[in-house]
Amino acid sequence: MGATGANRGQPAIMDAKTRWGRFRRSEAASGLLLISPTALYALLMLAVPLAAILLYSVLTDGYLTVEWTPTLANYAEAWGDPLYRQVMLRSLFVSATVTLVTVLLAYPVAYYVSFHVSPSRKSLWLFLITIPFWTSYLIRVFLWKVILGFNGVVNSSLMTLGIIDEPLTFILYNVNAVVITLAHAYAPFAILPIFVALEKIDRSLLEASQDLGESRLLTFWRVTLPLSMPGVVAAVLIVFIPTIGDYVTPQLVGGPEGRMISNAIQLQYLRLDNYPLGSALAVSAMAIVTAVSLVFLFLNRRFLRVRQQ
Amino acid sequence: MRSKGTGFRAYTIAYLIFLYAPIVLLPIFAFNNSTIIAFPLAGFTTNWFRELATIPALHHAVWNSLVIAVSTSILSTCLGVFAARASTRYDFPGKGPIIGFIMLPLVLPEIIVAVSLLVVLLGIGIELSAWTVILGHVLICTPFSIAILNSAFQSLDKSLEEAAIDLGETRWSTFRLITFPLIMPGIISSLLISFTISLDEFIIAFFLTGTQPTLPVYIWSQLRFPTKLPSIMALGTILVALSITLLIIAEYFRRRGIARSGGQDAGGFL
Amino acid sequence: MKPIIQIRDVHKYYGDYHALRGINVDIGEGEFFSLLGPSGCGKTTLLRTIAGFEDLSQGTIHIDGRLMEGVPPNKRPTNMVFQSYAIFPHLTVAENVGFGLRRDPRTPAQKAAAVEEALEMVGLKGYGGRAAHALSGGQRQRVALARALILKPRVLLLDEPLSALDKKLREQMQSELRRLQRQVGITFILVTHDQEEALIMSDRIAVMFEGQIAQLAPPQELYRRPVTRQVAEFIGVMNFLPASVATVNGARIDVEVAGLGTVELAAEQCPGGARSGKGSVGFRPETLTILFEGETPRGRVAEGTVEEVTYYGDMTYYGVVPDGVDVPLTISMRNLVGRRVLERGERTRVAWDPAALVLFC
Repeated sequence: MGATGANRGQPAIMDAKTRWGRFRRSEAASGLLLISPTALYALLMLAVPLAAILLYSVLTDGYLTVEWTPTLANYAEAWGDPLYRQVMLRSLFVSATVTLVTVLLAYPVAYYVSFHVSPSRKSLWLFLITIPFWTSYLIRVFLWKVILGFNGVVNSSLMTLGIIDEPLTFILYNVNAVVITLAHAYAPFAILPIFVALEKIDRSLLEASQDLGESRLLTFWRVTLPLSMPGVVAAVLIVFIPTIGDYVTPQLVGGPEGRMISNAIQLQYLRLDNYPLGSALAVSAMAIVTAVSLVFLFLNRRFLRVRQQ
Repeated sequence: MRSKGTGFRAYTIAYLIFLYAPIVLLPIFAFNNSTIIAFPLAGFTTNWFRELATIPALHHAVWNSLVIAVSTSILSTCLGVFAARASTRYDFPGKGPIIGFIMLPLVLPEIIVAVSLLVVLLGIGIELSAWTVILGHVLICTPFSIAILNSAFQSLDKSLEEAAIDLGETRWSTFRLITFPLIMPGIISSLLISFTISLDEFIIAFFLTGTQPTLPVYIWSQLRFPTKLPSIMALGTILVALSITLLIIAEYFRRRGIARSGGQDAGGFL
Repeated sequence: MKPIIQIRDVHKYYGDYHALRGINVDIGEGEFFSLLGPSGCGKTTLLRTIAGFEDLSQGTIHIDGRLMEGVPPNKRPTNMVFQSYAIFPHLTVAENVGFGLRRDPRTPAQKAAAVEEALEMVGLKGYGGRAAHALSGGQRQRVALARALILKPRVLLLDEPLSALDKKLREQMQSELRRLQRQVGITFILVTHDQEEALIMSDRIAVMFEGQIAQLAPPQELYRRPVTRQVAEFIGVMNFLPASVATVNGARIDVEVAGLGTVELAAEQCPGGARSGKGSVGFRPETLTILFEGETPRGRVAEGTVEEVTYYGDMTYYGVVPDGVDVPLTISMRNLVGRRVLERGERTRVAWDPAALVLFC
């Protein structure tokens, strides 16, 4: 850089100027400048609030006010109280079950669309799969209540057909109902990443495997499944993380024994006005989600490395 | 291969029935002449739709939701354009972490976003209103906008912009003459998707709305009253019809965008 | 030759990667100049620094006597044909070609006439109303040319413009580009990795390896007198035999070549300059001749065994191992009427001319 100015016998100040000009036109500067509005927004509306609840979670609750006395009492209550511990464990259990059910049910759908649908019709199928997802979530959840309820669609049809005499009660206001409803709500989230991963698989790899003597089933087991694992991992995370924080479904169809962590958080914030305890619960929930996700990613690191090649 | 496919096909169709079951029930009960949401059906009526026209609180909620959804879609698409442009065209220090952080709301439980914003807004003394809901909605819609616009920018050949500059245009006029028209389909589908998400979002609105309920918050408050349910079914039918229409428009623009840039269709949203 | 572009001591770094390492070259007015090299050698980077899409890390570029530092691409007297052609898909052919005339003070009618003239020049008369995304590869290429040439640049930059075309179309476009360049009379700078293309089209070629110009010469000189083995291997096919310099006697060099004995070379046969110690000599397949029955040799003769025969129709390529050497030499022979094709394992005589040898030390 220095040679330019020196060769033309110009003062050093010109050199500094062009250097600044170069930085201004440089990729790094343009990129940072361009991303700054969005990044600033995320900083103000996400980073600061997250830091705030982290702070609140170690403050003392003083009935409608918050006292600036640092304490770990909120965490002690969130982790020590059997009620909260039960809610937390139930949330984990429900999310894990929903994730398992959703991903297992979704895989064959993604497989069918990727491998058995002609390329020109793939987007139509994906479109059909995504449509229900874009319709009102509240109303969808409520309709499951209608389907599963005491006088609901399932019970009245089964009774009309004479299969049962009494309405089934184990399908509403408990964990089962929460799992069914959430599995329905998060279906496209599971299908799309698996579909994308399956689409990326070079079809000649499958032919090569069969050419090398593997049966179709073993080809799936030894080639297709491992190569689609990045999609499965993404599907698991994208279902698991939001479901653990779902509020509407447990509230509407869960009944008292189906309450999850969000309902507890909401109760602390909007009903009891205990922000510190609510924050401690929220931070704990995030910590659990993050920990489980990281462990899951670690266990699947073998499959994820393939993607980077 | 074909015979193998039929089993999968039957399964997938069964799965689609599972996906559509609740939505199919919606119009059935919306036109059912009974205040009880259960089988057997009692006869056809359009009363529930007519009743919707007589509830001022609902009309306020619809208006609030529309204002919030329109503002959200415009703001998040603008923020999305900046971020998608930066992430597809430039390399800069900290790129991965910055973009990862912006995309974080995609995987963050919404209740966390809602309570953390609530704490801060109340902490600095901002009164809850439609504006506070917009702040939250823009945060969760921006990642969707970025995802959609990223693919729009990616399918845009970099040399098209260089060619325009080479032919005498400035950076700004290049954006206006070349970049903007070519990513237009992406912008439209980003607007529509953020609009739909915001219109449907409940948790954040529930926490941040104050005294001006949005449509989902209004619906939530009505679900407790069994006599209101049939008209909620009618309302739901209208909403579903509306969002399917919007989606079809969004899909149309997405496909046109792909056709225009001469690319291959790689799948749906997200 | 009056230079239109003067490139002095140009370096380009991408982080730690040294993409251009001291480029010095003058490119003449009206010249067809090629930058030739394998992918990653810096040829496209050099082209893009001339166009103004890349800043220099060090050094200067003058175009038409004007220093280009800080001059953006839209203010330079250069225009570019992109590798992907960069035809704006949302505009018609005419709108594409007339794109650069937006700020031109001429009337719309005059601009339309200029567009039509440019389209005619590239053989696309009457295509103006077509949608750009419906064009074939060859047509896109022509639109890209018309779009750049309509602005009457002092220099036209072409970034691998033919690499996306099939062989037939590529050959047709090669001669057409040459014709266009003579017609408009401006400097063309062509980036290519195809040595044959560079030889066919260029007035001069700069062969680049790893960010440096290895040799800058007209096609014939490049082919006949490559300065390094690397250049020789990149341009066409060349045979190499180990050799060592015996004595240097003024303008004459005596070289001991494995299997061929002592050879006396002229100074110009050592274009690399160094003329001592061990090295190798190279010679092209067509400078060797297989002697069939009854043919009399010109130059010197070596004996050997045919190891490989590759039949191409008009030509046959032989791999012949001369006695006393263990490397086969590639020899190309025309399949003249009445001349038979040798078989593997046959003994044969090979005529060679010391004047065709090039010495690399």
